[in-house]
Amino acid sequence: MPKIKIVLLIIIIGIFLGGCQVDDYYYDKSKINIVTTTAIIADLARNIGQEKVHVYELMGPGIDPHSYNATAGDIRKIQQADLVIFNGLHLEGKMEKVFSNLDKIDKNYLEIGAHYTMDELIYLEDQAVDPHIWFSVTLWKKAATLVCEKLQDMDPENFDYYLDNKNKYFTQLNELDLFIREEISKIPEQSRVLITAHDAFNYFGREYGFEVIGLQGLSSLDEAGIKRISELAEFIVKREIKAIYIENSVPVKTVQALQKAVLSRGFNVKIGGELYSDSLGNKNTIEGTYIGAYKANIIAIVGGLKDE
Amino acid sequence: MNDKPYAIEIEDLTVAYDIKPVLWDIDIKIPKGVLMAVVGPNGAGKSTLIKAMLGIVKPISGKVLFFNTPLKEYLKKISYVPQKGSVDWDFPTNVLDVVLMGRYGKLGWFKRPTEEDVRIAKEAIKKVGMEDFMDRQISELSGGQQQRVFLARALVQEAEIYLLDEPFQGVDAKTEKEIVNILKELVKAGKTVIVVHHDLQTVKQYFDWVGLIFTRIIAYGPVEDVFTEANIEKTYKSRHNLTLKEPFKC
Amino acid sequence: MLELIFSDYTFRIVALGTILLGIASGLLSSFVTLNKQALVGDALSHAALPGIVLVFMIIKVKNLELLLLGALFFGLIAIGLTNIIKKYSKVKFDSSLALVLSSFFGFGLVLMTIIQKTPTASQAGLNNFIFGQASTMLPHDVYLMLSISILVILLIILFWKELKLFVFNPEFSQALGFNNKYISLLFSGLIVLTVIIGLESVGVILISSLLVAPGVSARQWTNRLSIMVVLSGLFGAISGFFGTIISAISPKMPTGAIIVIVLSVITILSILFGSKRGIIWRQIKNKINNHKIIAYQWLNNSEINSLPIEALQFLTKKNYLAIQNNEYVLTNEGRKLIDYYKEAQE
Repeated sequence: MPKIKIVLLIIIIGIFLGGCQVDDYYYDKSKINIVTTTAIIADLARNIGQEKVHVYELMGPGIDPHSYNATAGDIRKIQQADLVIFNGLHLEGKMEKVFSNLDKIDKNYLEIGAHYTMDELIYLEDQAVDPHIWFSVTLWKKAATLVCEKLQDMDPENFDYYLDNKNKYFTQLNELDLFIREEISKIPEQSRVLITAHDAFNYFGREYGFEVIGLQGLSSLDEAGIKRISELAEFIVKREIKAIYIENSVPVKTVQALQKAVLSRGFNVKIGGELYSDSLGNKNTIEGTYIGAYKANIIAIVGGLKDE
Repeated sequence: MNDKPYAIEIEDLTVAYDIKPVLWDIDIKIPKGVLMAVVGPNGAGKSTLIKAMLGIVKPISGKVLFFNTPLKEYLKKISYVPQKGSVDWDFPTNVLDVVLMGRYGKLGWFKRPTEEDVRIAKEAIKKVGMEDFMDRQISELSGGQQQRVFLARALVQEAEIYLLDEPFQGVDAKTEKEIVNILKELVKAGKTVIVVHHDLQTVKQYFDWVGLIFTRIIAYGPVEDVFTEANIEKTYKSRHNLTLKEPFKC
Repeated sequence: MLELIFSDYTFRIVALGTILLGIASGLLSSFVTLNKQALVGDALSHAALPGIVLVFMIIKVKNLELLLLGALFFGLIAIGLTNIIKKYSKVKFDSSLALVLSSFFGFGLVLMTIIQKTPTASQAGLNNFIFGQASTMLPHDVYLMLSISILVILLIILFWKELKLFVFNPEFSQALGFNNKYISLLFSGLIVLTVIIGLESVGVILISSLLVAPGVSARQWTNRLSIMVVLSGLFGAISGFFGTIISAISPKMPTGAIIVIVLSVITILSILFGSKRGIIWRQIKNKINNHKIIAYQWLNNSEINSLPIEALQFLTKKNYLAIQNNEYVLTNEGRKLIDYYKEAQE
């Protein structure tokens, strides 16, 4: 029956269109091959390792690390890699098994999150650790040091090379920090409230004096309850917060529902923009780097919250 | 050739599931006004014959005419009493409601039953002796009462041809007599009644025509002529080795 | 505190949406359970998953209507496939349902793993279709639910007798001249529509309970189809309403799951206490009947005045006997009892 054939054709086309990303992974024998989970970590590795490393990230732009399931292809890439770097602290929530196997296969790896002290980390009410450490530039500098030391360990010949790169990168990070502080000062103190889809920005809040509220909680997989939406809507109206933010890797609907709830209370809150929370922008764009994405976030935040 | 058309004329009817034939090359001509039993062993295809006549089961080949008219145009004048077991008697409905269902054919799509329909239904219920049970839940009925309800449902269709599938199954003696009387009345009024029947003992008593089936028609016609030891033996002891060589494609 | 909840915008939206969903699925649930196709809703919702994901793969944006269209399409394919398997193979209906259900769902999960590498996939929140996220309902969703619920109600009213006949005795329906294919299509279509609107709020896994539990519960309270259908719609609505209230009061309760729990409680209570078929009720009725039978046997089998004292006391208490001129005589009640059981024995 011809109808069935058409249906099958559509299905196959759909799978190809959707599934086939041009996979640009390859193994470079002349370099240290690093496989990372997030693009944020990959960006760091590239900045420290530069010419001597070839970095591949499993999670590209717009991918949510909280809900990501490793595929068989990913496992193969990890097995091939010379070095595996991941965030830990349950950011890559569904990959725990993969990580615990790394010791078993004697793989060289760096778990960034494991190297912070309890004071450095942020804990929430139910003793859960907030994994989004990269939004603290200070903590991220420490990560850079970790990567540098790891590479120096694996490749002592190029000790100075890596050190040099790290220092150069530190300069850039310091510039970023300055930029952030300058921009934020444009927002009146009582308006320094950042409301986003999930709790990704606590480290940003702590470092730069911002009140940060996530609608969904630590993981993008948590459901935002009715009560939460109502309470947050009340809060927004009371504090006259001008803008709330969607994230590029988390469902937009939750924030839209929050906006509707606020509007129904007679207050006009805008969606101030899309923030890069758990991922970066498209590759080969400025927002595809950690610093570029952070700056874009700040511009959006300041743009929405400052006085006209 | 009769100048009067046959009530039911079946030609070359073949019904099969996969490669197993259930009815094979059935040819029957049934005249108007007979009370006919259809008998045969289990799995002989008796129920299937009725269903094929009504279009409930699609035959591979063959033709069925009612007074020279095809099924589609004659459907409204045929009354069907399905097997008791084809229904879940735990369904939340009462006797009157079930009998009213027989009127749905006349109503067609969307229309609701009218007062007239209710009146006709009540009369039929009375006729089968169930007037005390009109708003009784059908789950509370005995086997005999269930068959009576089904019969009443057939009566309200005011049809010319009645096809009944095992109407005496699980029925007490009193009910059986009453049902037979009603059927005989129908025939006296000029209707044609075909009954799939399982009890060989009562064929001579109740029916004037009989058809013996075991996938094929072994014999059919007036009871005196056809209901012989030889024919009965042929029907109940025979084995057919019919298989379709290739599955028929639709 | 309750007024605060009712005046809350978000609560009102979610409550309205889930009530509408409850009504539509509840009404259908009566027919679905009577038709012994309780698992169909489950199969449909699971089968819808690949449809949703495939559409997203093609259009790359989250357009709710188009995604649901994909769900609809695959839901119907699943039904068609089940029927084909039932018709042409020896596999039984519920086995073929389970087959189709699990394989389609598995296929959907595979597709989800494939698209997780696509940017904007996470933003589309396709994961939420599996477990539902009722709390983030938007007015847009409620309008969709309203229109589909109205459609379901209208079609049930319009095709009432056809649906009733089709579920009760499909062969007879065919013999009367109704085209069963159309009715079956209508029936499946209504189920699919309801599953679709329920997907985003309660999710693939839980929607099937909304299509089964209300009907089962309603059946315990009545022997009339019309009342059963209305009651099941009511139960669906109630579970939506109270489910929303409960999840609005407590901080971390997923709305969809709470609704299903409320529904289950209603079902358990109905099975136990239902006035027509509930377990407790039947025990009571049995006891009453047993007493009546014992009373009848006493009255029928011996001279009244030669009965043992306990019997006489019992019968008098139940008002079957009365004392007149120092003798025990039969009352009207007693006479009626004897007549009733005498007749029942015929």
